[in-house]
Amino acid sequence: MANHERNIWEKIADQLRSKSLWMLHYCTGCGAIELPPSMTSRFDMERFGMGPMATPRQADILFITGYLSAKTLRRVIYTYEQMPEPKYVIGFGSCTLNGGIYYDSYATINRLDYYIPVDLYIAGCMPRPEALLEAFNELMKMIRKGEANGWKQYKENYDWYKNNQIRSLGEVLVHDEFHE
Amino acid sequence: MMSSMSEIVKNLKTLVKKLEIVEIDEREVKIEIPCEKTLNVLSFLKGNGYSHLSILTAVDWIEENKFEIVYVLFSWENGGKFVVSTKIDRKKAKFVSVMHLWPIARFYERELHEFFGIQFEGNDDMRPLFLENWDSLPPLRKDFDPLEYSKEKFPDREYIKDVIYEAKVIRGDLNG
Repeated sequence: MANHERNIWEKIADQLRSKSLWMLHYCTGCGAIELPPSMTSRFDMERFGMGPMATPRQADILFITGYLSAKTLRRVIYTYEQMPEPKYVIGFGSCTLNGGIYYDSYATINRLDYYIPVDLYIAGCMPRPEALLEAFNELMKMIRKGEANGWKQYKENYDWYKNNQIRSLGEVLVHDEFHE
Repeated sequence: MMSSMSEIVKNLKTLVKKLEIVEIDEREVKIEIPCEKTLNVLSFLKGNGYSHLSILTAVDWIEENKFEIVYVLFSWENGGKFVVSTKIDRKKAKFVSVMHLWPIARFYERELHEFFGIQFEGNDDMRPLFLENWDSLPPLRKDFDPLEYSKEKFPDREYIKDVIYEAKVIRGDLNG
């Protein structure tokens, strides 16, 4: 998308946003195992002003680690749509990029940005915590420059994303005991 | 084979005529039986201490046109394990439920119905257990092609065809 012209207040807001990011991690894949070292004293994510957040309603980043099955993708879309704007998505590991070792699975999706906009991918299987911190720095830079516009793309191309979701999932609505 | 297990096998031979025994291990014996004798054998083993149903699963032998249904029974008294296996027709995938012997079999049977399409008489709960909105063959059958399904349902990322792609075509990894 062409760079959206930000006014001065939005520029200031983006500067401030990049210094305080709350992350919601969707840890169903094996990438979840790289998060504890990144969060705790060894690599210490909090020195960048980032912290884990328990609920999507107060989170800025949706962090998706590893493969997503069709069943979990429904929950991810649900979670993503609950998050307030601005919101950013990081895809972690090759499973979110191109399916990884599950490219031929009947249950897992092959690319995440077909369903929700992804601002940044971290390639590798598995990426190490250093790669993760590099990605966080990169995302902060992108936010400051106003390049992390995935959430605007989602609003603009809502029909395209919805059609893709329905094509792969049949129905996006979740029917289980927590959602009815 | 442990002595207590060989005794049980000896008794089983009087119960079932056509019985094939494969000794896997000192503590693990596989018994292949005709499908109409399954419930007898299972309840006999349950009465002789093998009361824990570790798993109930199935194997698809597509060349033979059979489903093999496998019960793994474990004894907490001596640590022995009986693998009871029986083969049913693949076309008429129907079998009896063992819910009256092990109530937990309800979930194993639901799973088998979902992933192999095997019906279990006596189990009224055949709702899907794991998959949502499934619209194809049961996925663990051998005639189901997961790659084809994945290609149709979950589109791949398209990469620019670069030098590495050409090298793969030259080497024969891909046929361009």
